[in-house]
Amino acid sequence: MTSGALFIFGGLFGLGLIAGFFMHRSDFCLAGAFRDLFLFRSMHLIRPLVLAVAVTALLFELARMTGFLPYYPFPWFAPPALVNVLGGFIFGLGMVLTGGCVVGVLYKLGGGSFLAGIGILGLIAGSALYAEIHPYWRSFAETSRLHGQVVTLPQLAGISPTWWAGGLFLVGLTACFFWWREGLWQQKFKADGHIPLWVTALVIATVSLLAVKLSGIPMGITTSYAKFAAAAESVLAPEYVAATEYFAARSLDLTLPGTGQTLSGGGGARFDVVALVQYPLIFGIILGAFGSAVAVGEFKPRWSAPGRQTLMVFCGGVIMALGSRMTPGCNVWHILGGLPILTIQSLLFVAGLLPGAWLGSRFLQKILI
Amino acid sequence: MQTEIIEKDIRGQICPSSLLLALREINRNFDRLANGVLEIVVLTDNRDATGTIPTTVENMGLHSEVEKIAGYYRILVKK
Repeated sequence: MTSGALFIFGGLFGLGLIAGFFMHRSDFCLAGAFRDLFLFRSMHLIRPLVLAVAVTALLFELARMTGFLPYYPFPWFAPPALVNVLGGFIFGLGMVLTGGCVVGVLYKLGGGSFLAGIGILGLIAGSALYAEIHPYWRSFAETSRLHGQVVTLPQLAGISPTWWAGGLFLVGLTACFFWWREGLWQQKFKADGHIPLWVTALVIATVSLLAVKLSGIPMGITTSYAKFAAAAESVLAPEYVAATEYFAARSLDLTLPGTGQTLSGGGGARFDVVALVQYPLIFGIILGAFGSAVAVGEFKPRWSAPGRQTLMVFCGGVIMALGSRMTPGCNVWHILGGLPILTIQSLLFVAGLLPGAWLGSRFLQKILI
Repeated sequence: MQTEIIEKDIRGQICPSSLLLALREINRNFDRLANGVLEIVVLTDNRDATGTIPTTVENMGLHSEVEKIAGYYRILVKK
């Protein structure tokens, strides 16, 4: 690894540690935000998410205007396609059944949750399953493309991103202000060392900005689950994995900010550019949450969930992985990375995620009660 | 008259089992809870539940106490 790549790896690992620590302390669960909205009509986790998106929109736009961002729009966001909605729907369903999104399961695993580990196994199995259907899905995805070149709403409308980002920030901030006037930010959590959700929302927005500065792209981690699947399958059938199109492809290129070095990557088990920008976040989040849980004496892994629930979490992980590969991308990538700059892909993903999470909540209630 | 206690151990389970199962027990036994002849105890390792269960039961006119025990939380729901 070159010193430039090592700097990016180390920096992202540090950001992962911070994100994992704060997410564990606040139980900042993005899957829970949508689930609780439908299950309990509770907005307590949606509010910090709105704050995070609004502040991130402002930070990204200020950074773009001042030349702080290496690239704009961010690499790896493609023009919109109808599969973005479908993938979002499947992802939303899976994330609720798993009890956490692709990032949520990491901080919960670090906090000592066995079930989160089961969810991660489901994500790896689902990624392996996707690799089998990838050639067919890729052809279908191509036919569902809505536009050839345009990536963001500001590009589509031909209006400066400043107006859009400013509008998003003002709308989000206005909502947050009204919630504050009604005392809705003051919900008391009696967990040891609890950090208010709004603080973690601001920390996550800052971490997102720094991740973009370091690597050129916002936080995302799902392709790594495919890499873990490829590594596991390689132990049993290396020749089969080598011949599998999805694992063999290196379709993601990234020029590293600072070094100018262009690297490629994909879903295979190699240590490539995907691993360089995703592994440090994954291990950082797990370790950050682990440190937080140990510090408050709450790291107590317990194998006590009913078998039916364990099976549901595994299946949820499989479904969520399929959704993330079909879209492509996850909720953190789209909501905290794409939505603040209004990529059309991310808007379509969220449009699918909402009904998916609603359906997941209905299933969850029937399975748990 | 002695107060009856129902204890639900939700440790190690998926979110939001703690709130869902607590609500199920509260709804099934609301009259006895409101009359003070029953209390419900939830054992949970879900940090979010230390905020959501107290807020929900307060909205129902009940009270709660949260206590940390050896790495998990004991949430008492009562009149």
